[in-house]
Amino acid sequence: MYGWIWRHLPGNAWVRALISIVLVLAIVYVLFQYVFPWAEPLLPFNDVTVDGQ
Amino acid sequence: MARARNRIAGIISLFGELLITAGLVLGLFVVYSLWWTNVLADRAADKDGAQVRDRWATDGAAGAPGALDTKDGIGFLHVPAMDNGEVLVKRGTGTDVLNHGVAGYYTDPVKSALPQDKQGNFTLAAHRDGHGAKFHNIHKLKTGDAIVFETKDTWYVYKVYKTLPETTKYNVDVLQPVPKESGKTKPGRYITLTTCTPMYTSDYRYIVWGELERTEKVDHDRTPPAELR
Repeated sequence: MYGWIWRHLPGNAWVRALISIVLVLAIVYVLFQYVFPWAEPLLPFNDVTVDGQ
Repeated sequence: MARARNRIAGIISLFGELLITAGLVLGLFVVYSLWWTNVLADRAADKDGAQVRDRWATDGAAGAPGALDTKDGIGFLHVPAMDNGEVLVKRGTGTDVLNHGVAGYYTDPVKSALPQDKQGNFTLAAHRDGHGAKFHNIHKLKTGDAIVFETKDTWYVYKVYKTLPETTKYNVDVLQPVPKESGKTKPGRYITLTTCTPMYTSDYRYIVWGELERTEKVDHDRTPPAELR
């Protein structure tokens, strides 16, 4: 998978490395901004109230 | 033959890469929950807290009873034993409130009393981890430790008299105006802190009860009571 992506990126090794970093940062951003906030309430790690539910 | 073998190797390496990816994503989720949510929550709480102090300052000395205004926070909780500075207290215990780095007072299932009420139980909840983790160190509270609540014009000094390190989330009786489970039988002015336990999970709830010892008028310089000095 990662090999396949690497082979399909344009440019020489430096350009590819740069694009890879940008891609990684973009994925981390999407995870922190959208995916994790959505997933967190669905997981049983942080319920702090006594509510009988 | 060689081609089939290549294909199998390809599938196995794809599977391996997916596993590595899943591990990285889970690791990032830990970073998110234990660090990033704190950054966001503390930022929000600092902003809201500053707003409350601004309002207190501009309302004037002889102003209206600012302690009753519940819109952007009713005051600050100071717990020296928890060593986490001041915690803004707002109305409600939904995630929309607690996720902003504050403690919330219960409106449901048992309505909280407010500190200025003649009697009742001032019941609070806050996060143990993430989102400001305002009650992270709740286990450091021991009998006799001070819990101080600051409103616009009064310091309410409570003393811890009982802790319950583990109970179920169904135990809503801990919030009763007279919390019998703490050994009290007569109405009084109590405070109850609730959060989740053990750390990093929410299998159980941790409860700390305190009773009002005295109140002090806030002076011109907002000199804190002896417990906070």
